[in-house]
Amino acid sequence: MKSFLAALAFAAIAAFCVSSVLDTIQQASSVAYTTSGARVGDPGNNLIGPN
Amino acid sequence: MARVKFLCDADRCIECNACVTACKNEHEVPWGINRRRVVTINDGKPGERSVSMACMHCTDAPCAAVCPVSCFYTTADGVVLHSKDLCIGCGYCFYACPFGAPQYPKVGNFGSRGKMDKCTYCAGGPEADSTPAEYAKYGANRLAEGKLPICAEMCSTKSLLAGDGAIIAEIYKERVMKRGYGSGMWGWKTAYADSPTG
Amino acid sequence: MPSSLSNLRALCAAIALLFAFAHPAAAQLSFKPTAEAVQEDKLLNALKEGDKITGRISIPDSMASSLIQPAGRDWRDFQRSKLPIIGGVAILGMLVLLAVFLMMRGRIRVDHGFSGTKILRFASFERFTHWLTASCFIVLALSGLNISFGRVLILPLFGAGAFATMSGYAKIAHDYLAFPFMLGLVIMFLIWIKDNIPGKIDWQWIKQGGGILSNGKHPPARRFNAGQKGIFWIVIIGGALMSVSGWFLLFPYLPANVTALQFWTVIHAVIAMLFIAAMLAHIYIGSVGMEGAFDAMGTGEVDLNWAKEHHSLWVAEEQAKGRAPSGSDTRAVPAE
Repeated sequence: MKSFLAALAFAAIAAFCVSSVLDTIQQASSVAYTTSGARVGDPGNNLIGPN
Repeated sequence: MARVKFLCDADRCIECNACVTACKNEHEVPWGINRRRVVTINDGKPGERSVSMACMHCTDAPCAAVCPVSCFYTTADGVVLHSKDLCIGCGYCFYACPFGAPQYPKVGNFGSRGKMDKCTYCAGGPEADSTPAEYAKYGANRLAEGKLPICAEMCSTKSLLAGDGAIIAEIYKERVMKRGYGSGMWGWKTAYADSPTG
Repeated sequence: MPSSLSNLRALCAAIALLFAFAHPAAAQLSFKPTAEAVQEDKLLNALKEGDKITGRISIPDSMASSLIQPAGRDWRDFQRSKLPIIGGVAILGMLVLLAVFLMMRGRIRVDHGFSGTKILRFASFERFTHWLTASCFIVLALSGLNISFGRVLILPLFGAGAFATMSGYAKIAHDYLAFPFMLGLVIMFLIWIKDNIPGKIDWQWIKQGGGILSNGKHPPARRFNAGQKGIFWIVIIGGALMSVSGWFLLFPYLPANVTALQFWTVIHAVIAMLFIAAMLAHIYIGSVGMEGAFDAMGTGEVDLNWAKEHHSLWVAEEQAKGRAPSGSDTRAVPAE
């Protein structure tokens, strides 16, 4: 029982840690799909919502 | 009711990208989201052709068929729309779409890429017509105002046609008859399983 | 002015020559300028299966350069007609098989009854690894099945809004629990590979049908019998395929190729259905199907009589190493 609960807790914590790590490589398409020269001002957030 | 479609007469398209710009402006589309794009086939070679492509609002739309949460619906005009309240950002529509229409706000971490956005045929979404809420999620609703999609309306060479599928197909056929050539109704065979002519 | 006349003549000749050279070009102009133009029909007909019409694009998104990929419709047809058949046959078929087996064979009992003496079968770290992988697997399987079939089976029960919210969380769980699942797979592979190399004794076990079909007959086995080794390799190979295909789906912008993504989703889905069916059998035999089996992963300690019946050689090894009770009090009843 102890191993089972430990496994559940570990799975949840590991999943959360992975999501945090992967969020650091998250990239907005306003950056990924534009060239630097095109990035003037505010990329806008209509249709996709804030942040 | 009419079954509306897009038709790009590639023999007239001059790759000016004004349709893309007009779309961006009309719906205040953020950078990196491309509801419409112009693809040039055989670029730089004799006989190159440019095609303006967006969601084709397919018959038996593949995106709608594979969506795990069934967030797509087809309007009485044949426009394929989706609800961003239901979308879970799984990307199935992108795998199924023959035209690469679905767009996502983020790339990199798949788990939090956000909700899908695509061409609405300037017909908004499930929210009440022409409301700020609809505009914020789906952009302008020109169809509700009795207007056609902005991309086709302002096309300077009248290459991009929008409207009743039967009528625009007839216009295209007339053009092909008159000038004696045509590179095809791009995407129609795939989107509507109609046989393209001319 | 003979010289100027000859000049004029030379000029005329030059012009005539120019025309002569220019003529083919003029002739070409009378043809349609579009004679060489790309034709959608030709491009579509020239497409190989799964291929797409691509061109140059001015936005830095390589996936946007695909103009038409008719394969999307095939992928739709796979999702809509083939996958439900594969999943239905594999999963429902396995459930039916297990139900029939339970009715025919009943629960497999410990023939000689519980001895009351326990022997340690799985240490706590082994149980931890098993449950780490198992709990992740259950969530991954349910959320995956929800993606494939939830729309038909569950959506009508809850309504679109509640179902979408639930599916949204399920998708997040699926995306991130994949990582502890993969970690569990790696650890399981490392700690159990040494007991899972197929050997001669497994062939005997298979020839006797594992003794599961008849009461009181138990072919000898070491720590894992052939059936368990089979499950081990199904988990390792199936898990590896799920991980590799899942990795592409988690980072769809790395292959940046919708054809590749379609391929991996098909692999992911088909392997998943078979994997789930195999695991149903594993769950059945480890709980309802066999008396005394669950203890191995529950407390880690199994009854000595159970161990002797199912893993006679392993018990002997453990006893020889002095890691198990000799069980002389139960010797009255032969192990096999």
